[in-house]
Amino acid sequence: MQSSFDLQYIIELMPILLKYLGVTMEMALWGFLFALILSLSLALIRVFKIAVIQHFAALFISFFRGTPLLVQLFILYYGLPQFMPIFIGMDAFTAAVIGLSLHFSAYMAESIRAAILGIDKSQMEACLSLGMTRLQAMKRIILPQASRVATPSLMNYFIDMIKSTSLAFTLGVAEIMAKAQMEASSSFKFFESFLAVALIYWAVVLIFTRLQHLLERRLNKAY
Amino acid sequence: MIKVNKLSKKFDDLSVLKDINFEVNKGEIVVIIGPSGTGKSTLLRCLNYLETPTSGIVEIGGVAVDAQKHTNKQVTQLRQQSSFVFQNYSLFANKTAIQNVSESLITVWKTPRNEALQTAKSILINVGLEDKLDFYPSQLSGGQQQRVGIARAMAAKGEVILFDEPTSALDPEWVEEVLAVMQQLAIEKQTMIVVTHEMQFAREVADRVIFMEGGYIVEQGSPEQIFEHPEHERTKAFVKRALKR
Repeated sequence: MQSSFDLQYIIELMPILLKYLGVTMEMALWGFLFALILSLSLALIRVFKIAVIQHFAALFISFFRGTPLLVQLFILYYGLPQFMPIFIGMDAFTAAVIGLSLHFSAYMAESIRAAILGIDKSQMEACLSLGMTRLQAMKRIILPQASRVATPSLMNYFIDMIKSTSLAFTLGVAEIMAKAQMEASSSFKFFESFLAVALIYWAVVLIFTRLQHLLERRLNKAY
Repeated sequence: MIKVNKLSKKFDDLSVLKDINFEVNKGEIVVIIGPSGTGKSTLLRCLNYLETPTSGIVEIGGVAVDAQKHTNKQVTQLRQQSSFVFQNYSLFANKTAIQNVSESLITVWKTPRNEALQTAKSILINVGLEDKLDFYPSQLSGGQQQRVGIARAMAAKGEVILFDEPTSALDPEWVEEVLAVMQQLAIEKQTMIVVTHEMQFAREVADRVIFMEGGYIVEQGSPEQIFEHPEHERTKAFVKRALKR
């Protein structure tokens, strides 16, 4: 069956899909927040070469970078409850947020670590020479400078994460992609439905790209 | 007040400092001279434990640290007894001039923020930078950055300020203003150990000059002794060459 492109359908679908954008953004924002905390911890563990746990950190990063996000989500949501009862009651939204943060924290940890190691050694020396501890130096001088270096790549991961939330529909989270899928299968207008959802993702990404530029300009004030 | 006992430093098999012994009294200005690559900077960095010596004891203001047996806490305490002026300034790139100077007061000495900023401001005025308080390092000339570097060291409440070739990275036009600030400090009897190639400064300002070569202290004495009547051949040769420039 061949049908012509239905622009009217897309226009009508937009407000329906947009109602689910909130769930998508909530997943992305929580996921990013947890990923940020986790990746910073992982990066610091590796930078300070903390005995024993630095090896766990390296293993963690290796696993979550070395396997597909979709597989990780399935293990987390469908697999783990089989062995660990505490996961049985976990809803799909929570599972998606956990999966996204674990996955992206592995990548972000490497970005943050690289940014920290990229700060000139003399900055740390200057701190130490004044009698500051390494931790104080990290907090007051090194991390603020590293955050400027890491911001572009961290923002890229955030944008990537927004798009990756679409995988959560495979766990049954009622987000924007799931809604588009449902609408498509009832109307048979697959192209229009998926194009509509693509346009929404694109628009959101453009907004955050703009925010990224504003943030970078602010961070570059001292340079 | 400063005591260095049997200090040595090896990088792998290369012996950079060999059995260094000397003392510095409160208010004394000691200038270390010598050819490049003879361990002057390494010695200074060992005093601050930016390099960990291989063996020997460094004692500053009552805190003694043994190279072979020490804790991180002792090292931090030792560092708090001195402050360091770097060849390349090493100002905190994310902080303004006044924040650079107040940082150690706030973080290390837990001075209330407003008080720390007041102190930092008055020190910066002292080094002639009252109109640059809120400038970032990237907005300052080399000479201005190094004056902030000295101000930062002055604020740190150390017993002694260690200068590691403070004018070597500067364009000639900025050297004067930095030396002037150091001269002012000398007049105020601030204890200083200065590694420098500025022989004129050594001659005029130092209470004592130490000549180093090959990781040893070859000779030390008053500027007059070292520059006019050196005893060792090595010193004679170096001084002759250095003063010719």
